[in-house]
Amino acid sequence: MHIVICIKQVPDPEIAPSVFRVDEVAKKVISLAGTAPVINPFDEQAVEAALRIRDAEQDPANVTITAVTMGEATSEKIVRKAMALGVDQGVTLVDAAFADSDAYATARALAAAITKLGDIDLVLTGRQAADSDAGVVALGIAELLRLPAITLAKKIEVADGAVQVERAVSEGEETMAAPLPAVITIAHELGAVRKPSLRETMRAGRKPVRRWGPDDLGMDAESVGRAGSRRVVERLYQPTRDVDCEWVSGDEPAAIAKALVGRLVEQKLL
Amino acid sequence: MPRKEIEGDWVMGWADRKRHMLVPGKDQHDRVIYGRTPFFEHEGLITPTDATYIVAQLQMPEPVHPEDYGFEVFGEVERPATLTLEELRRLPGHTVRAVAECAGNDTDFWDYLQSREKGGNMPKPSYELDDGEGFLKWRGMADQPDFDMAELAHANPSTGHVSGGEWTGVPLREVLTRAGVKDSAVAVRFEGFDEGRPDPTTQYLSVGRADFEVYDPGVINYDKGLPIEKAMDPDTVLAWAHNGEWLTHVHGAPLRLVVPGWAGNWWVKWINKIEVTDHMPDCYHQTHYFVSGKSPDDPNKKPMMALGVKTLITEPRDDDSPLRRGSHVIRGLAWSGEGAIARVEVSTDAGETWSDAHIEQHGDRFLWRRFSYLWDVDVPGRHTLMSRGTDEKGRCQPVTEWNFQRKHFDGIVPVDIAIE
Repeated sequence: MHIVICIKQVPDPEIAPSVFRVDEVAKKVISLAGTAPVINPFDEQAVEAALRIRDAEQDPANVTITAVTMGEATSEKIVRKAMALGVDQGVTLVDAAFADSDAYATARALAAAITKLGDIDLVLTGRQAADSDAGVVALGIAELLRLPAITLAKKIEVADGAVQVERAVSEGEETMAAPLPAVITIAHELGAVRKPSLRETMRAGRKPVRRWGPDDLGMDAESVGRAGSRRVVERLYQPTRDVDCEWVSGDEPAAIAKALVGRLVEQKLL
Repeated sequence: MPRKEIEGDWVMGWADRKRHMLVPGKDQHDRVIYGRTPFFEHEGLITPTDATYIVAQLQMPEPVHPEDYGFEVFGEVERPATLTLEELRRLPGHTVRAVAECAGNDTDFWDYLQSREKGGNMPKPSYELDDGEGFLKWRGMADQPDFDMAELAHANPSTGHVSGGEWTGVPLREVLTRAGVKDSAVAVRFEGFDEGRPDPTTQYLSVGRADFEVYDPGVINYDKGLPIEKAMDPDTVLAWAHNGEWLTHVHGAPLRLVVPGWAGNWWVKWINKIEVTDHMPDCYHQTHYFVSGKSPDDPNKKPMMALGVKTLITEPRDDDSPLRRGSHVIRGLAWSGEGAIARVEVSTDAGETWSDAHIEQHGDRFLWRRFSYLWDVDVPGRHTLMSRGTDEKGRCQPVTEWNFQRKHFDGIVPVDIAIE
């Protein structure tokens, strides 16, 4: 079985909002000195999901896990991090032509890379990227590769050429199944991820990471990156949070409740 | 023995052991204002700077550029002066290696040992590091309408507030001698740049209850009045460097006081003023907090100064159980507030009998010493390990009496090991 995990390098979501900055003119997030970008935490969950599938296999050696990322040259670090957790091999899509890709261009490049990898059984991604929060790249990959897709998986089981997925939905849980190959996005309800061991980290330093550009994927420069994107960024800014707090007062709890309901109805919130 | 797998990480681009740093608590600007030391993960005697514990009683101040920095020396001196950092660095320097321990370190163990002695079932306080959020969560809690003392009591583990470090600077007495200390001098009052209104929640958390009134001094600068004898000790240092590099802001840059043997609250950070006084100054963190006594109403409360005598078994730990029959090394650290550790004894039968452990000797009186003891065990079942230290003054652990603020814990904490 060959599992491909698509991972993304994002600014550390743990940094405080007060130090987060965007360049409104260039419409870009400003890199903050002293804080290294990290693997998208949702994608770490996808790595964990792949490792659990392998752990459940009778012969784990029959499962190959490949991590693919598109980004800056430094994104090899997150591939190495995934490898330190147990991923077997990595592919980085690094080229200036890939810069400023939107979800569509990203999905096209990743789909091309997955196609180049050959026979694959599963594509796993995190439910969304922690920076853009769109959560559509995985579905784009599925559409481009004509594969079934299931989102928000909290549990995955693979057997007899099919995948059974327990989904985390707002009403509770939902179980779905699809034939392989398929694309699955992983929800954080999957649970805690493992920590890298020193032994695996050392092995990860010796594992292969291939670096592909548009030419390797058979894509011309006009169809990738900003040139190949459909999204138009009108404005990038940090929204302000103006909160007005109104105290609803009264002599009796019943009167306070009545006044509160009145205000909520007035605001069309009830 | 269920061996823990060694964690890996990338260090300077290479696969390496994970370097254990403190898990910090941060403010809204992503600035670290709190941290506990993962001392079980460290080898040797010096805690790396990035893993050295951080506690600030008041608000951390804004950093001061070292070239703009100066402090006053005044009061009961013949020659009051203002010194810059560069002027201070021209004086004969001194490096001291010492344990810094927060007065409230391991405070939860007071209650645990009492419960254990009475056959109670209070769970052993955790040495596990949290994310620092617990510490930040309880700040200001006493002012909230839904303040709940029970919730507060479990808000923040008390362990991990101890580190070993190397501090480079100038002996305080070099500065005082040059200023000409008058015979009338009784104490030296240090005032830091850090200011704020002491949070009464701190005292409630320390005492374990909230049914008493906490004195409110309003907004103050952090200050302490060091007795003149300790101020003139050659190992009491004004430090600008820590572990071989310039002192960092979170640890008190540009200049902090280092008072080997005494609890961390004496090690005043971000020094702004040094005042020699002819009386013991009335400092909030000396006359109202960090005091001994039987209760908040005790009329004989006194400032707590030197730490007691303490040992900590770092290996094996309770959760290493079960161990196999055979030879195991019991390792740990021992330190004292009044000088070098002279003896460490280990018991493998819950204190019935004691044997001398091997102590790794070195020349730093106030730095902890590593000890080890080879334990041959061939009897399956539960075994209780203990260690106790004796310092060069002959003080044998435990030294510190129970006090209502539960400071300076130095009790003997048993380690329970199952042998299979």
